[in-house]
Amino acid sequence: MVRRLVRRIAGLIATLFAASFVIFASVYAAPGDPAVFLAGGRDKLTPEKIATVRAQYHLDEPLVVQYGRWLWDCVHTDLGRSFRYGDQVADLLTARLPTTLALVGYATVLFVLLGVGAGVLAAVRRGWVDSAVVGATTLAGSVPSFVAAIALISLFGVRLGWFPVTGGGTGFAGTVHHLTLPALSMALGALAIISRVTRQAMLDAAAADHVEVARACGVPEREIVLRHVLRNALGPIVTMCGLVTAGMLAGTVVIETAFGISGIGSLLVGAINTHDFPVAQAVLLLMVTGYILATTLVDLVHPLLDPRVKAARSAI
Amino acid sequence: MKRTSRPTAPLLTAAVATLALGTAGCSGATNTLGGGKALNAADLRLTPTTAEATGRLDTVNWLLEDEPDSLDLDTQGTSAGRAVLTNVCERLYQLQPDMSVRPFLARKATRPDPTTLVLSLRDDVTFHDGAKMTADDVLWSLKRHADPDMEQADEFGNVKKMAKTGPHEITITFKEPDALFTKALAGDAGLVYHRSQVQAAGAEFGTPGRGDACSGPYELTSWKSGDSLTIRRSDSYWGSKPLTRQIVFRWASDSAFVNALTTGAADGGYAESPNTAAALAGRKGLTEHYGPSTASLALIPTERGGLKDPAIRRALSLALDRAGIAASGYGGLVQPWATPVGSGSWGYAKPAFATAQRKLNAAAPARPDAAALARAKKLVQSAGAPAEPIVIGTDASQGRTVIANAVRAALQSIGLVGQIKTVPTAQFEEFYSSQQARSEIDVLVGDWYISKSDPMGFYDNALSDSPNNWVGFKSRTYDSTVHQALRTLDDGARARLAVRVQKEFADAAVWVPVAQVPSVLVLKDGLTGPPASQAHLYYPWAAELGTAPGAAPAHQPQEKD
Repeated sequence: MVRRLVRRIAGLIATLFAASFVIFASVYAAPGDPAVFLAGGRDKLTPEKIATVRAQYHLDEPLVVQYGRWLWDCVHTDLGRSFRYGDQVADLLTARLPTTLALVGYATVLFVLLGVGAGVLAAVRRGWVDSAVVGATTLAGSVPSFVAAIALISLFGVRLGWFPVTGGGTGFAGTVHHLTLPALSMALGALAIISRVTRQAMLDAAAADHVEVARACGVPEREIVLRHVLRNALGPIVTMCGLVTAGMLAGTVVIETAFGISGIGSLLVGAINTHDFPVAQAVLLLMVTGYILATTLVDLVHPLLDPRVKAARSAI
Repeated sequence: MKRTSRPTAPLLTAAVATLALGTAGCSGATNTLGGGKALNAADLRLTPTTAEATGRLDTVNWLLEDEPDSLDLDTQGTSAGRAVLTNVCERLYQLQPDMSVRPFLARKATRPDPTTLVLSLRDDVTFHDGAKMTADDVLWSLKRHADPDMEQADEFGNVKKMAKTGPHEITITFKEPDALFTKALAGDAGLVYHRSQVQAAGAEFGTPGRGDACSGPYELTSWKSGDSLTIRRSDSYWGSKPLTRQIVFRWASDSAFVNALTTGAADGGYAESPNTAAALAGRKGLTEHYGPSTASLALIPTERGGLKDPAIRRALSLALDRAGIAASGYGGLVQPWATPVGSGSWGYAKPAFATAQRKLNAAAPARPDAAALARAKKLVQSAGAPAEPIVIGTDASQGRTVIANAVRAALQSIGLVGQIKTVPTAQFEEFYSSQQARSEIDVLVGDWYISKSDPMGFYDNALSDSPNNWVGFKSRTYDSTVHQALRTLDDGARARLAVRVQKEFADAAVWVPVAQVPSVLVLKDGLTGPPASQAHLYYPWAAELGTAPGAAPAHQPQEKD
């Protein structure tokens, strides 16, 4: 067990190390010159001023040296200062992360409840209900999230005035109120995938012999669905939910822009556009870490849900 | 000083904005932006102020187009930061809503000789921490601004010495007379900080969670990074008390900015982008006010040489459909213009500048008529058409795209070939700084503003040795007139020189002016008071915000105090 944990952590660190270098190099290679943004006004952009700025921020050093400098500070828990804000990168992240996590969390709750619910419904009630669910979720899934955002803003925000259309809100009730439309916009896209996976997993599980036996023994249908079908189908459903949530961590930027929410998605876009290396690097790494953690969590939860997986792993 | 692009993903936000403005807005929209009423640039009236407010307000929600980068304007000055801080911090001089400048924390200024400026400081000013403003604080602040690493350092290029010459007196001596220095003191170069506060904060000064070190009508009470920024009326303010107790700033761009104002989530804001302003024009429950600003749109030819010949540049200027650009690119919210700086730069001698500007209209018509086109064609004929196509550099933003296409159409109408090169916004900014980046284009679709309300704050860009003089415009009379104007302290005399400079700039078509961009204030019905002009970046606008006489908005409890 301990050995497995150590191996996992070592793997995690290796992945982060590789990812950090790739990210650093890509931000570095993006078009545009950070010194231009750092120098200030356009009328001050003399070659001398740009050279000074470049030296001040170590931008004149080779990529590897800059990366080494960043890594060294990072290991000493110093993520550096933002070029643009002059503030500690850690402070910037701490301020914005809760909003993004709340948004992703809320969207996850929505798509799990609605998606799994719709999938179960489609699997249990074959016929027109099934077709209707598949049709509706496919339609919802085919609408890009920013289009959904605009439609929701237009209807529930501007016309009906039920929900606020900007900002993240304060307090639990305020946050829920503010984030409902953004979370729904994000969840709609995931509905099709989750409901389809749920439906198929349920159908596969329902085809198993023991389900037939249970049914023949007169076990109530409700119990069959819950204990024998859904439980056996949970493995793929949880895996897919985990993957979709992990993907959402990196995909909040469009929604944050549409709803004027200052989360890490909009922070990242701003950082990339102004060549704010320290911030872009930190946010991207955070996203990679979030993805790895979410998928690792799914891996750990899977055997608990399905003893067969555990047995298979132990055998290896 | 200039305008930088807001750092958002342009393509993405453009897509979101376009769709949002199309769907979330009113029905029956007539202009392409999907806003309320279509505007006509010719009907746009620019007024520097709004009606005076009389009613008190408790809290006003104000919208910025972006979160301030930093509240230390010496290290990172952005429009969002200035719009907030101008209510919190004060300057030695103050820019007025009509864009004139007057002594402020300096009670008065005298010039015993042309190279000496003596500032007599107010003795009744207290900082928010209760300390009295001293001459030492002022001198220290000036020296901080003058530090070569700071944004305002270039304003101090002429300064020989700054010294405290009395308990409330600072004397500044110059290498040569500097006509623009007091204008700079009304900008960020004139900010006065409480020295010990700034020093105590160190590198954290101006970052979220820190207090201010200033003396203005409002105090910075909180800045939650990524969420909101709050300023509250200062109880100890040395001047008159503002009507509104508290302003909460939030930020959103493009469609989110429009939606927040439309749904009443925000009570007001200055719309930086003409497209956002156009989308909000005529919305129910909101009033837009247009004021003068120094901002302009212009075509800036590069050193590559496709537009090397002034005759070709003049021809392009004659053939350009500026009214068409204003209508289809900016919803009628910019005005065809014949000089490279907006009317907000006329901080003095307004009638003289207005008359001079009208005379230049013939060379930069709003809409080219047959005669203008004939003149343009003749110019091209005598100069000879360039062999290669003229490459027009732009980014994907709506306004710039429209201008680029209009330039291509204008070139075509005079027998030349234009070719559009679109680059990402981040790369576009590089055109301004890097000759190498510019080597791919012949002209860029530029926007520009100056922070000083004096046209001479712009025309030094075309001096023979200026790094911004890309076409290599060289004229001994131009250079000497500019230098003479910059040394001329008398406003009337300087205005006459500025008009001469402006004429020579226009004749040589160093830049091809397109339009002036007004400053736009959006207010919920019932609110009034703040200036509409660009002065909102340097003047305590919030101190004048309140309700219109007899028009308290229903949801705002009247403050009792």
